[in-house]
Amino acid sequence: MSVIAPKFRFSEFLKSITDNLFWIIILVTLIGLPVIMIVLLFVDLPVYQGELINPFLAFSWMFHPELSLPLIKSFMITDFFRIAVFPGFGFAVLLATSVIFIERKMLAKLQLRVGPFYCGKIEGILQLMADGIKLVTKEIIIPAKADKPIFILSPLMFVGAAAAFVALIPVAPGWVVADIDLGLIAVFAVIGFFPIITVLASWSANSKYPFIGGIRALFQMVSFEIPLILSLLGVVILTGTLNLSEIVASQASFPWIIFLPVGAIVFFIAMLAELERIPFDLPEAESEIVAGWLTEFSGMMYGLVQLGSYIKLYAFAALFVVIFLGGWNGPMIFPPLEEELILEGKTIGPITIQTPGLPIFSMEFFSGVFWFILKTAAVIFFILLPRGVFPRVRIDLLLDLGWFKLIGLTFLNIFIALALLYAGVFGPGGML
Amino acid sequence: MVGELASNYSTILMMFGFAVVATAPALLISRMIAPRKRSNPVKFLPMECGQVPSGAGRTHFMMQYYAYILMFVVFDVMAIFLYAWGSSILSLPRTATLPIIAFLAIMFAAMAYALDQSRRRNIW
Repeated sequence: MSVIAPKFRFSEFLKSITDNLFWIIILVTLIGLPVIMIVLLFVDLPVYQGELINPFLAFSWMFHPELSLPLIKSFMITDFFRIAVFPGFGFAVLLATSVIFIERKMLAKLQLRVGPFYCGKIEGILQLMADGIKLVTKEIIIPAKADKPIFILSPLMFVGAAAAFVALIPVAPGWVVADIDLGLIAVFAVIGFFPIITVLASWSANSKYPFIGGIRALFQMVSFEIPLILSLLGVVILTGTLNLSEIVASQASFPWIIFLPVGAIVFFIAMLAELERIPFDLPEAESEIVAGWLTEFSGMMYGLVQLGSYIKLYAFAALFVVIFLGGWNGPMIFPPLEEELILEGKTIGPITIQTPGLPIFSMEFFSGVFWFILKTAAVIFFILLPRGVFPRVRIDLLLDLGWFKLIGLTFLNIFIALALLYAGVFGPGGML
Repeated sequence: MVGELASNYSTILMMFGFAVVATAPALLISRMIAPRKRSNPVKFLPMECGQVPSGAGRTHFMMQYYAYILMFVVFDVMAIFLYAWGSSILSLPRTATLPIIAFLAIMFAAMAYALDQSRRRNIW
């Protein structure tokens, strides 16, 4: 229960703030700055504009934004920044964790519950942090006869494979970790690792429920991989490329979902099955086989598998956006910056901005990221929605759906794409 | 050229490695601060809803739908073959589509026959 402190006085509140400020200033000057200085003395510093940077110069740059701007900009085009922060791991984890919270709240609203409420003052917004702390402090129990190295490694590999999937998703023009010509094939290759990791985890646990769950996961992923692969062939036929950035660029005027709705629907259903979401959550059917292949995972290992599965959810939703909904394309909502401001700086009344190169990102970038996140959020909403609506599918009906109906529909989709190509609507010299 | 290609793909591996390195500390921290009591061996038995587990964990399991796995091995490869055609279709002459239609027909007929056989549970 969150209760306001019984003896709340404004003066004491101010006193606590000033106390904290005092200690922060004391600690930063006495400990923080010397530590930065000492670290800088031991770091190899680069040559910048024909001048070897000494620790004192680097120290003064750190607190002088005008001078450190080029360093920040040069850091932002490195591979490490892309992998760790923006289109890579940090961005995906941020979106995945927010999806976990939104799912819990949304599911609660669908089922006329309240959902997370007490932790944090506003609508239980700190619930996720509390859950994380709880998971870290819980004991990890590994079954006695389990194959320990594989059992411990499998959650890590699951997160790693999900992150490798994220690496292939272009978020904004030029902002992709791995921009490769065979992007779509690489996506299929990465998706192919998930059933292997699932079966490894379930086999190494040496327990019956994970084993049944792992077998089910194998069947499910095997029967939905072919519809998943074939449903994207229509887009490849019409664009003639496998590079995901080029597929997005080809949708500048219209998204492919308008012309290939059958492929989009099949891909969406196959995506739900690959993500093990309800109605296809047979591998972790909690009312039949305890928790399926996750039964023996406890504490932070379970947390890592959940994190990986939500990163995977984000990656699949982003793939749907990239291929069928036009990725970052959309109307410019932020006006572009003036040339003068970017190159020389500007004086507006009392405010003077005289830092050339201050805008770190262009406004096109912000617009692209805005549209990408908006579309991804919409797709994630439709992925989460069936969980509150549908029951679970029986396994023979699931295999039936994958092998009979969806594969038939993907062939239909291929012939729609061929008809569009040969009727002269798309392709070289086409109408659109 | 080859090095450039390899460097493009290496970022995927680096992403994999970064994710593993960034999340492994969660397990280590958990190992350090979580309680570890090894007094009760029953705790480390496999989960069987409170019962004492009987038999081996890795048992034989009836592969009721084994036919689908066999079909996957064949048709997954064929599906990827179609991408080689699909990605180069804009530079191929139109007559090149006819053999692929024949390929699709053979693939579809074979798949229909295999699906028909997979329904006859008594032979599996």
